[in-house]
Amino acid sequence: MVAEGALAAGCRFFAGYPITPASEIYEVMMREQASRGGLALSAPDEISSLCYCVGASLRGLKAMTATSGPGWALMSETVQYALMSETPVVITLVQRLGPSTGGATHGAQGDIFLAEFCTSGGYTIPVFAPSNAAECYELTRQAFNWSERLRTPVVLLSDKEVGMTSEPVDEAALAKPAVVERTWGDAGASIAAYDIERVEDVPCFGPAGGEVKVTVTGSAHDRQGRLRKPSAEVVELLLHLQRKIEVHAADMAMVHADLDPEASCLLVSYGITARAARQAVGMLRKEGFPISFLQIQTLFPVPAEALHRAAAGIRTVFVAEENLTGQYRAVLAPLLNDRRLLGINKIGSMISPTEIVRAIRRAGGTIPRGDWPSERSSEAGVREPLGTRKAGV
Amino acid sequence: MGDTTYLAADAKLPYCRGCGHALVVRQLSRALEGLALPARSIVLTTDIGCVGLADSLFPYVHTVHTTHGRSTAMAIGMALAEAVLPASGLKPIVMIGDGGAMIGLLHLVHAAQLNVDITVLVHNNFLFGMTGGQHSAFTPLDWCTSTTPEGNRVPPLDLLALLRAAHAGSLARQFATDGNLNAVIADAVAYPGFSLVEILEICTGYGGLMNKSKGAALHEVAGRQGYAIGQLEAKQPRPTFTQLYRHEIDSKTAPLLVEEGPGVVDPRVEAATHHPLPPPPTEEGSQLHRPKESRPTSLQHAGAADSRLKIQDSKPMHVVIAGAAGERVQSSAALLCRAALSAGLYTTQKNDNPVTQGSGFSLSEICLGPRPIQYTGMESADVVIAVSQEGWNELTTNGTLSALTPGSLLVLDSEIETESPTGRVVRQPFRRDATPKRAALAAIAFWLEKDPVIPNATWQSVVAALPVERRTDVSEALGIGSNLACQGGERAA
Repeated sequence: MVAEGALAAGCRFFAGYPITPASEIYEVMMREQASRGGLALSAPDEISSLCYCVGASLRGLKAMTATSGPGWALMSETVQYALMSETPVVITLVQRLGPSTGGATHGAQGDIFLAEFCTSGGYTIPVFAPSNAAECYELTRQAFNWSERLRTPVVLLSDKEVGMTSEPVDEAALAKPAVVERTWGDAGASIAAYDIERVEDVPCFGPAGGEVKVTVTGSAHDRQGRLRKPSAEVVELLLHLQRKIEVHAADMAMVHADLDPEASCLLVSYGITARAARQAVGMLRKEGFPISFLQIQTLFPVPAEALHRAAAGIRTVFVAEENLTGQYRAVLAPLLNDRRLLGINKIGSMISPTEIVRAIRRAGGTIPRGDWPSERSSEAGVREPLGTRKAGV
Repeated sequence: MGDTTYLAADAKLPYCRGCGHALVVRQLSRALEGLALPARSIVLTTDIGCVGLADSLFPYVHTVHTTHGRSTAMAIGMALAEAVLPASGLKPIVMIGDGGAMIGLLHLVHAAQLNVDITVLVHNNFLFGMTGGQHSAFTPLDWCTSTTPEGNRVPPLDLLALLRAAHAGSLARQFATDGNLNAVIADAVAYPGFSLVEILEICTGYGGLMNKSKGAALHEVAGRQGYAIGQLEAKQPRPTFTQLYRHEIDSKTAPLLVEEGPGVVDPRVEAATHHPLPPPPTEEGSQLHRPKESRPTSLQHAGAADSRLKIQDSKPMHVVIAGAAGERVQSSAALLCRAALSAGLYTTQKNDNPVTQGSGFSLSEICLGPRPIQYTGMESADVVIAVSQEGWNELTTNGTLSALTPGSLLVLDSEIETESPTGRVVRQPFRRDATPKRAALAAIAFWLEKDPVIPNATWQSVVAALPVERRTDVSEALGIGSNLACQGGERAA
């Protein structure tokens, strides 16, 4: 569905390199692109994959590659180049268990920091996280739209369990946001580079090979794209790279909120764990305990407004995610500093709805312990100890 | 203005006195003037280092200043895009140093293999100039650099020999001081495919000082490395990858190419999704995830109200099917999912096998339910179908068996050796009666005959959607399983 979403978004260039669990996107693209009027090819490594995509994008094509943690690590230099040179490109990062080669066929949500904070300077890279096949389609289309609109790299952050589980999709019910194209420059212009009126504007795009002379660079540059040491103009253009993302944060925010006005606790999750979390919320409510739920699809920029709305009147916020240290919880912590923030974390296999329910119960205080059924001596499916950690611990 | 003007007439070259780079940019400009190519048909793609300062000297051609070693890779992407775009004749010219050629060696190799229409000018001055004179993979033996102060002990790479092995079409080596360098560059740019010119220079800032060498010593150094000079490879041009791919696109899209409008899905995708079911599986492993990754599958709710459906509450049923690799375990599981889908159920299917794919166990975990499946894992399997010892052993290893409850149903092949598992055990000779490759399907049919979660009628549509050559095989396997169930051959383990 990532591949279908990309093709529907107008992706006409794909370069890939085999890596579990992203290889299927590569294979589908290799099979489909030529018949859709696009090109897909095998690159000799992941560095090449993304560079080829950037090169094709510089000529005006919508381009994507797909990889997993080890391949993404090799791409980070070129992600930064795309960011600095304002070249649209989409990278699908299908997470697997790390670190290093890790567990190639095991899911994880451990690449939040790796994906978002891979740039010198800490610029915001938009990151969208689907939780099922339909969302893979929808969010891939969104990823292209925002990449093109803002001329910036965008990451679709999937994982093995989302990417390699077959499930039916109601094609008629899929969201199909209108396809957005990058803003092309005036054919009569003398140069296409980085000229903007306001710091948050996105410069018009001119393709390498077009009638208008194009100057592209990944180095600190002036409005003409000339390599320069940091002057006021150069620094303003660096600020612009961040501001053009920030001003659209609210528009980019995609969440599914299922709020209960009676709730005193909120469960936040994303990606594959959001599915177990939603099921856990149903289980808790069935037991008569009010709880609110927020699935976050736009991980970055952080959907602060939606989070604040969901957390209004809430005392305790749980963040369920399949990593060891609560990476996204750490990102949310500054926004929730007046609330009790607890993590539900695990690695090695998916967090189950029962584990989430038990973790919320173990946290105590929020839910009367006596109202819960007694713990069974052996709970099926629990193969790893599940820890709850306070934010910052 | 500027149509065939290249190096700015008043360009102040930013290089050290005597640096070969100045000669190269002038010779490049002369070469382009000689070819009379429109300036906008050139993309000067520069690498990092002193060589990367050339962009601003060419005010009329497109310039792309890249990262260290990646200039070639980005030029490859630009050249490949020509397969999709209207033909423009755009020519990327890569300017890269010996350091960039070292770190980006694989890009040069792949560019040569693909035969993309780019020209690479490698400025080989035997060291990293901008960073302080460190040696590279192209530094000659005994050459002194800031990191080989007593002379380089590692023999240099012969770039042209290496790229010849990678099927490069046009390869040349010249000195920066050669008067005919412009002609050599012009030949390379005009070559319709991958071309590379290695230009030997001495870095006056480091190489010259540290080796007490001047330009004249360059010939002696090159001679000692055994470097031949001149046009070393000029093959009959072969089609570029871009041309080959454009041909492929043309052949596949000629009758079908439809422009997409905003918000409109490619009509061919829409048409494909109107099929009630995705393409049927062909071989073990080949279609495991295609329902998800290829075409969205329409949901069929016709059977949702069927009174025979056993799954009535919202809790999904969890089924594990295990067997041996190559025995169609996962594709049989996919057929079960399609049948469930036709019966109006929601499904998820996850597969597992050893990393070697073609040996050992093969396993599918399936969730079936009347509502969309949220959590795709299972805390305890309701039904376990095992048709080979490898599959059974894996169920022991991965914890499936230890999580079973007394209510779990186990449908096992008679040949499987087991301890006494938790749950109700049923054994039948699926492998013997149906053959090993059809055992999984027979066991599924056996289970559904005993426990009609899915109406039998739905299998007819699943079989009908299969390629003709597979229908008989699948029908027979299903029939064998049903017959075993009807014979009442159930016995406790």
